Amino acid sequence: MAILEEPIKEVEKLKNYVNGEWVESKSDEILDIINPATQKVISKVPMSTPDEVNEAITAAKEAYPEWRTTTPLARVRCLFRLKELLEENFEQLSRVQTQEHGKTIDESRGETRRGIEMVEVGTGIPSLMMGYNLEDIATGIDEYVIYQPLGVFGHIAPFNFPFMVPLWFSPFAMATGNTFVVKPSPRDPISQVKLAELVDEAGIPPGVYNVVHGGVDTASIFMEHPDIKGITFVGSTKVGKDIYKKCGETGKRVIAQTSAKNFMVVMPDADIAATIPALMTSFFGNTGQRCLSGANLVIVGKDDTSYNKVLDAFVDTASKIRVGYGLDESIQMGPMQSIDGKERVLGYIEKGIAEGAKLLLDGRTPTIIGDYPETCFVNPTVFSDVTPNMTIAKEEIFGPVASVMRVKDLDEAIETANGSNFGNANAIFTSSGKAAREFQYRIETGNVGINIGIVAPMAFFPFSGMKDSFFGVLHGQGKDVIRFFTESKVVIQRWL
Amino acid sequence: MKLNTASEVISFTKKLEEDSATLYKEFSRKFAQDKDVFLSFAKENEKNIIQVERAYYGVISDAIEGCFAFNINPEKYSFNTELAEKDSYSKALNKAIEIEEKIIKFYSDAVEQSKSFLADIPRAFKMIAKKRENNRRIELKSLLSKEE
Repeated sequence: MAILEEPIKEVEKLKNYVNGEWVESKSDEILDIINPATQKVISKVPMSTPDEVNEAITAAKEAYPEWRTTTPLARVRCLFRLKELLEENFEQLSRVQTQEHGKTIDESRGETRRGIEMVEVGTGIPSLMMGYNLEDIATGIDEYVIYQPLGVFGHIAPFNFPFMVPLWFSPFAMATGNTFVVKPSPRDPISQVKLAELVDEAGIPPGVYNVVHGGVDTASIFMEHPDIKGITFVGSTKVGKDIYKKCGETGKRVIAQTSAKNFMVVMPDADIAATIPALMTSFFGNTGQRCLSGANLVIVGKDDTSYNKVLDAFVDTASKIRVGYGLDESIQMGPMQSIDGKERVLGYIEKGIAEGAKLLLDGRTPTIIGDYPETCFVNPTVFSDVTPNMTIAKEEIFGPVASVMRVKDLDEAIETANGSNFGNANAIFTSSGKAAREFQYRIETGNVGINIGIVAPMAFFPFSGMKDSFFGVLHGQGKDVIRFFTESKVVIQRWL
Repeated sequence: MKLNTASEVISFTKKLEEDSATLYKEFSRKFAQDKDVFLSFAKENEKNIIQVERAYYGVISDAIEGCFAFNINPEKYSFNTELAEKDSYSKALNKAIEIEEKIIKFYSDAVEQSKSFLADIPRAFKMIAKKRENNRRIELKSLLSKEE
């Protein structure tokens, strides 16, 4: 299969997008952006100086008063234009994601589509932002609520969905009248630069949307800056907890969507033919680098035959996954995004072996379609005989490693899953409505799948999360995120 | 090699439709008495590509089984579009019917494999298969019966 044309052909140093201008950073700390499949340097990203970060926040602050008084209709017209531009550039944006992240082209196109859906839902702000009222709370006195924007919001983006995740927040922040500063992941910031080019072309006024490149230091400035009203973050639990704490001290709102360890429970009555592809997508989609990935496969039942049937089909299908460069349309799984990521995964595989799990499928020596360096590649890996106290069952691996557990019944499956510190996205595969209902009722997780392997809420629903998978009150997406980006002002009026 | 990913299958669909359009353009040149029919088929092929691509780009999501939805053997559905100068009209029509049946089979198999996973894509495939089955194949057979 031929490789699709790469959109990034020349190595350029990325610029910040501040106050509607492309600004070159004066920083001498510059990182290479490496295509994880080919190992070629495709771009360079500066770690912006504190002054440059502050300038971006100031630009957002100065743009706020005028943007806040721009009518919601006029604001969403900008989003309509952005939506059209995103559609026109759909393929290029998708290929950029594959080049900078390594995911397959189907996954990148899926990510682009999801991002666009956020913009589409954001265009509904004139309705979504409406308050409510009640006449005659006492004779002749009326009371109503107005949702008002707050000011500048900062976003700290993850590497695993470099294009989509910032869009979980930015269209809603802007449409509600706030201004926004994005710090893309320094590992794969190019798609955010491409997005900013389209924001600019869509006519979103200078300062409303800003992109500033950087790392931990930039994120720290966001957390401490008095002009930032709130932070949205997607990343690890360790960092999310820290952000939540720091923002608590400085009085900022926070949405911190963090790590996960998701349980996929397969009941004996599950439709195996439909379940296996869903499990492949869940465990190995995006090379396991997603907070919605399946991590622990829990096969329910005392009967050896049904257990082996699921396990054999799972291992057999996983062993045939075509691994390679995602711009080849036949590839089903790309590389890890970085060498560090791969080393972390290899470390967990070693731990699994050391703690007594049985390695049924070993991805450490990868088979790759095409002539690419092994540097970031790991093939699908499956452990069986995993117990809940093993490290590979408890900690987020964030790679293509499945830990298979066996339990006697649904009660034990739910108890095992609820024993996890995380609560992001657990799923059950069954043909029993009763079992599904029981699972939905008792499982301690923000997103529940019933015969769905990737429980990714649509733009008009909140992206939920519990326990160590979420820090905050209101979630990203849906009505929650509208409330997050607005303050409820209550008016009580009496005319004498 | 089998086709497993949605993008591969969409590319393959596009190729089938383009090859089919090439064939009917050749028919329109060679069998001018029914030129309009064949040109309308070729035009419909182009529309089918748009319909399939629209469904794919509209529904593809990071959360669905895009990389694991198919197990298509493309060789089962491939066909040769070349017409020999000496081929009679009825021989050519028989060839077209045979090709149509292959394409219908491809769409039907693709629907069966992906209907639990890909939402609008199998729906688009089903519509095209139905259109071919109910219109184009019947029209080709009618031309053939007139010729015979």
